[in-house]
Amino acid sequence: MRVDAYDKVTGKALYGADRVLPGMAFAALALAKIGRGRVSGVDTSAALAVPGVLLVETKFDLASPGFLMGGGFGFQSLQPMTDDHIAYRGQPIAIVVAETPVAATEAAEAITAEYEEEPFALHLDSEGATTLVQEEAIPLPFLADIKVGDADAVIDSCAVRIEETFEHPPQHAVPMELNGGVVWWQDDRLIVHEGTQNANAVRFGLAQQLGIDAELIEVHSPYVGGGFGQKNSLLVHIGPLAVVSRRLGRPVKLVLARTQTFHNGSFRPATKHRIRLGADATGRILAAVHEVDQQTSRHDLFIAGHTEVTSRLYGFSAFRGRQRLVQTDVQTPGYMRAPFESPSMFAFEQAVDELAHTVGRDPVQLRLDNDTETDPVTGLPFSSRHVGDCLRRGAELFGWSGRNPEPGSMRAEDGSLVGWGVAIGNYPGSIVAANATLTASADGRVTVAVDGHEMGQGIRSTVALLVARDLGIPVADVTVQVGDTTVGTQHLTAGSWGTATALPAVHSGLQELRKHLNVADTGDVDVASAVADAGHAVQVSVGSLGPGQTADALAQTNTGHLAISGPVFPGFVTFSWIAHFVEVHVEPTTCRIRVPRVVSVADCGRVASPVTAASQVRGGVIWGIGAALREESMVDDRVGGFLNTTLEEYPVMVNADVHRIDVDFIDKPDYQFNPVGVKGLGEVSMVGAAAAVANAVHHATGRRHHRLPIRIEHVL
Amino acid sequence: MKPFAYTAPSSVDAVVEALRVAQPGTKILAGGTTLYDLMKLGVEAPSAVIDVHRLPELTGISVTDSELVLGAGVRMADVSDHPVIRPSYTALAESIWRAASQQLRNMATLGGNLLQRTRCGYFRDADMPCNKRNPGSGCAAMEGVDRPHALLGASSLCSATYAGDFAIALLAFDAVVDVVGPRGERSIPLAELHVEPGEDPRREHVLDVDELIVRIRVPLTEAGRGSTYLKIRDRESYAFALASAAVGLVIDGAGIVTESRIALGGVATRPWRAVEAEQSLLGQPLTAAAARRAGEIAFAAARPGRTNEFRIELGIRTVADAVRTAGERAVR
Amino acid sequence: MSTNDVPATTVDVTCTVNGEPVQLRLDPRESLLDVLRERLALTGTKKGCDQGHCGACTVHLDGRRVVSCLTPAVQVDGLQVHTIESVTGPDGELHPLQQAFVDNDALQCGYCTPGQIMSGLACIAEGHTADDDEIREYLSGNVCRCGAYVGIVAAVRQAAQR
Repeated sequence: MRVDAYDKVTGKALYGADRVLPGMAFAALALAKIGRGRVSGVDTSAALAVPGVLLVETKFDLASPGFLMGGGFGFQSLQPMTDDHIAYRGQPIAIVVAETPVAATEAAEAITAEYEEEPFALHLDSEGATTLVQEEAIPLPFLADIKVGDADAVIDSCAVRIEETFEHPPQHAVPMELNGGVVWWQDDRLIVHEGTQNANAVRFGLAQQLGIDAELIEVHSPYVGGGFGQKNSLLVHIGPLAVVSRRLGRPVKLVLARTQTFHNGSFRPATKHRIRLGADATGRILAAVHEVDQQTSRHDLFIAGHTEVTSRLYGFSAFRGRQRLVQTDVQTPGYMRAPFESPSMFAFEQAVDELAHTVGRDPVQLRLDNDTETDPVTGLPFSSRHVGDCLRRGAELFGWSGRNPEPGSMRAEDGSLVGWGVAIGNYPGSIVAANATLTASADGRVTVAVDGHEMGQGIRSTVALLVARDLGIPVADVTVQVGDTTVGTQHLTAGSWGTATALPAVHSGLQELRKHLNVADTGDVDVASAVADAGHAVQVSVGSLGPGQTADALAQTNTGHLAISGPVFPGFVTFSWIAHFVEVHVEPTTCRIRVPRVVSVADCGRVASPVTAASQVRGGVIWGIGAALREESMVDDRVGGFLNTTLEEYPVMVNADVHRIDVDFIDKPDYQFNPVGVKGLGEVSMVGAAAAVANAVHHATGRRHHRLPIRIEHVL
Repeated sequence: MKPFAYTAPSSVDAVVEALRVAQPGTKILAGGTTLYDLMKLGVEAPSAVIDVHRLPELTGISVTDSELVLGAGVRMADVSDHPVIRPSYTALAESIWRAASQQLRNMATLGGNLLQRTRCGYFRDADMPCNKRNPGSGCAAMEGVDRPHALLGASSLCSATYAGDFAIALLAFDAVVDVVGPRGERSIPLAELHVEPGEDPRREHVLDVDELIVRIRVPLTEAGRGSTYLKIRDRESYAFALASAAVGLVIDGAGIVTESRIALGGVATRPWRAVEAEQSLLGQPLTAAAARRAGEIAFAAARPGRTNEFRIELGIRTVADAVRTAGERAVR
Repeated sequence: MSTNDVPATTVDVTCTVNGEPVQLRLDPRESLLDVLRERLALTGTKKGCDQGHCGACTVHLDGRRVVSCLTPAVQVDGLQVHTIESVTGPDGELHPLQQAFVDNDALQCGYCTPGQIMSGLACIAEGHTADDDEIREYLSGNVCRCGAYVGIVAAVRQAAQR
């Protein structure tokens, strides 16, 4: 069970905006109403006349936080309200602070502005959108197009060729916790309570924006009400909030309205994927091409990392990737759960399914036939790759052998068309330099402060379990502190590296702790008596590095920057793997698509916490089904920004949409990757799930869908 | 949200008096799920609110020899589980069961639900042009994202879909609403309560601003037993309809349809009775072909927008499925 | 109601919250959700949309579940309000449904959890737990973006069987 479950089921867990402080004032934002242009003459008079309003501010002297992927700290480099430029509809133009939430909201609504409108582009193919070749626009080695052999020539010479284009819409993460928080100043010290996956970036980003020493800033994010990448960096409301709080000398709370969160945080960008496969008559894939166009903003280049996964999926002899970035008039997109991998797999694994269909091979067998132990890109071995086992075990659990390969051939009792689909997925294994501080107390308890954030993946539980097992003490005697810059650095928790980063750090801390407690390297420890022998509480601090990382990485993370290693390490390459088996029913007349059962088998190395791991996979599968059948952020070319900015119009999965999801794990430790043997899980769990749904729909109906979501109108 | 004056009179008479003297811009507040929501969005900005949500006179469900009487203040949730309504007016119970969530059904009143406003995203976004919200500003939906918009009953000014479910079932059963106001009490057939947008999309119903719905009466009919409400949505629950149909049938011992009631939801600017479709079923056995034909007749006048043509075929199939289900229940 | 039939800019309201009598002078615009969170510091009740779309703010009014974001606080005059803070026993012991949420890992980030539990308690009290499909339907007003639905249904089923 989860060590923080008690706090969560009792309502005692405190999220960012859960602080209620004496003298607290309430803020609200007013947003730009044009798609792009300039704002002139913001009229704040009506807002200032609202009873209870304390201040209205439209212009801030704040430095850019810098873009997270450009060495900075912000989800985008653009800090609104620093000049008159409007880059996208929904960009803040004013902040109001009032005595009460209703007064703040009323005043924000009373703000009007004059604009000079400029044309804007919202789609990959919009007039005015600017397309850049990524490797030319950002000449960094890790962004160079992946090219192995002459893939096009090989494909041209192949007996079987598959060429398909797929489109994936923009999507929003919509974590349940609204963006927002509470900030206040104690003399010169800034205290920030905000749900974030990256307290470190909030801290150092604010220091840069405000021009103050990061030592004067503390950020608390002990619980994040869902992040999914949308809370992976400094958001645009926090800097202004800090300024108005200092000016008023009061704590200020700001909670964005749900609709505002659709424009004031990142989102999954639109992508277009052109897939070419060349195979022999048996379905052996000899070469593949994956060309991607991905949306970004005008002001930042959100990098595309699609071909990193597709190039490793099968044992290609040749592969060519090409990634282009298309600048549009939106806020900067970002890392929504399985950011590249889920859309890429939707495209690539449908093409593979089409290949199986074309050559008349069973789609599971075809995938097994194309498995490899060697990374096609680097020629290095995978530290672990058990996707074949995932496929075999999944097929058995699902009953795949009962599948009639003919599309449209299977029926349910109610006459629904039945489709069975399979897809695999992978996700790069990354490790980040991390710090851990372990304290053994006289009462026998051990407190662990480790870099990381709890956003539902259960990091506290995983760490507590590791410590309890290692020392042979009850889980209840372990306290885990995360998401708090007063006890640790708190680097970004994302990219599914949280567990593979925190656990090795804690593991190394445990070895150090044993030394200082003067106990054996292994075996149960009587912590209380060891502390008594030492005569005082024993504290150790360790830093841990990813394979091949140098101490510079730790220095980098300690100053708020990213220090990521992987998936290519010295001598090996690491990915997590998964296979999804999906059954869909397409109703005979009204054609509603239902997903009565799913079997997913994951290779995430050693399963660190079986209970939370299974839940992670189910969540990922649900995201995959949602992506396949429901989620799409829509735009209206006349007004800019996003249109369906509510939980009504952006239909995330509800309880009635979810049925049986069986999860299993290969559970083979990957000790080459790290000494604990764990690999990431949270994101690979989603990768391939949408593809499996789409493949199942094809099996049910005989129709291949090249664009998500697949809705009633597409199967009617 | 703009400030407003709030009163909560303790009787229907007091409400009527308050309405008589009310300043312009006064609105009646019941469960709050529509009005308070739209006030938060800046779509509604009443100068004053008269709260009727707990008037004891508006509560109560009773069954007489000839009709079902529902207080306008009854909460939606109390209807879907009612021991008489469920078997005798299955479509009524189902229409509520498939509406919103249990939390919202515990809040929303029947009277308020009848007057539920459209979920058109352009109407609900105060920054967008909308002839319903801001006459003369234009209709953003016509050239915009019109997937959920009305196929029936639209005008050149507005195609906003009537979003409710309950009224669709009530319409099929020839319900009547009783209203009171400073000029006394009157009864309005549900079929005449809502109006199409026509030249004035602001006007959605025939109630005067100072009138209050006090009860809903539903004539007893054998078709209530042989009835269903089928609602097709983008998710399995908690979503508005892409298409819905309330169907009630009576089938005699020889298998001949003797009574037929069909109303459409989610596809029209008002609750939509499909009279000719009903008639097409009468006097003959119920077959799959007849059910399909009823659907086609129901949508014969449908006019799609830019992206919602599929909902004509979906609507036809929804009617056909609902007719078949109602038929099975009618002969049970 | 304690109010007169005279319009007023503030309204005095008396109610009980988790069994404790509470007197409030309210701006009629205030939602029950904001009053609970910001004035009474009962922050277990969460704001996920403020539009009635997510259920994170679910509380009980006289025993019935409602979304507090769309409940004008003035409407709770004379009523009993119960929030997640009232579910736990006096010594911190978990209610069987809370325990079932723990046992079935019916949560991840925990943000929707108080609303899920308040909704689940009502679902059980209403008798809408005949089978998993009915539980799913009657809990569909509570969105869980983490996707812990399988555990949530199992938890409600377990608690309902007790």
